[in-house]
Amino acid sequence: MKNSFDEKILEEANDWVKGNQKVVLATVIQTWGSSPRPTGSRMIVNENGDFSGSVSGGCVESAVVRECIGIIKDNKPFKKIEFKVSNESAWEVGLACGGEIAVYLERVN
Amino acid sequence: MQLKILQEIIKKKINKSEFAIITNLENSNSEIFELGKPIGKNFEKYKDQINEFYKNKKNGVIENTNIFVETYIRPIKVIIVGAVHIAQYLIDYAKSLNFEIIVIDPRGYFATEQRFPDMKIMNKWPDEAFKEIETNSNTALIALTHDPKIDDPALQHALKKKFYYIGALGSKKTHANRCQRLTEAGFSNNEINSIHGPIGIKLGGKSAPEIALSIIAQLVSETYKR
Repeated sequence: MKNSFDEKILEEANDWVKGNQKVVLATVIQTWGSSPRPTGSRMIVNENGDFSGSVSGGCVESAVVRECIGIIKDNKPFKKIEFKVSNESAWEVGLACGGEIAVYLERVN
Repeated sequence: MQLKILQEIIKKKINKSEFAIITNLENSNSEIFELGKPIGKNFEKYKDQINEFYKNKKNGVIENTNIFVETYIRPIKVIIVGAVHIAQYLIDYAKSLNFEIIVIDPRGYFATEQRFPDMKIMNKWPDEAFKEIETNSNTALIALTHDPKIDDPALQHALKKKFYYIGALGSKKTHANRCQRLTEAGFSNNEINSIHGPIGIKLGGKSAPEIALSIIAQLVSETYKR
């Protein structure tokens, strides 16, 4: 639920785009187990790897930033990524809390 | 997400509308869903499920589909009576929490623009001010003047309209006197006991920002108890 405690990431995304930055929006679309942030949590990333907001408690943000930069470089419109506890082969990072999340990355344009 | 949609969402948030964003994860096309408005062709077959998510204020992917629904609800209206020192800090905290704040104070020397930049203060008595504000059981009241002339009418209005949170600043003695007056005005013990007085959770602090923090913490906690 996006209630009164909404974090205003979309507003920030709009400001970044207005400032001619390339922006990827990352949204938690699914969670399983004790994931750190609820569905709907958001983060934005630009072409330089600057980011704002969060999709976890700091566990997977660095990987999300890398993926987002990749999307911008490859000029891809979107991508879905999943983070699991023991997903070591795909990611150096994982959720320390033992949860699983699916994050949807999409260009804002 | 298309920039056009993103900007439309921001506009809707500013206008305090309730809506949902629906996204097809297969192509990242999004659109805004509003109750009673026609739904786009691409999402029409999921209409019932989207309505269900919207009704329950739920976010998530509709089962066995690639449709993501994210619902937005209106910010909670918080009415502060008394443009006092604590109110200045409350407004700061409330901004990052995205509460919709309305400050009422009939005393012109408190309700100045210099003390409250970027904030319109209603320079009216609560009874008059409440004629212009829509209130209901999703509204909160924070009474800060501890002046019965100003606080009491606001508290009475909040009790009648069954605000989900009513807090009143003042010592235990001030609060006991306040309860006595409300009893005389015909309010039941149950109603009177629903008022948080002395206001705020116990943090131990005495400074204006600390009191504001204790009030906002209580308000957030009560918001989730609704």
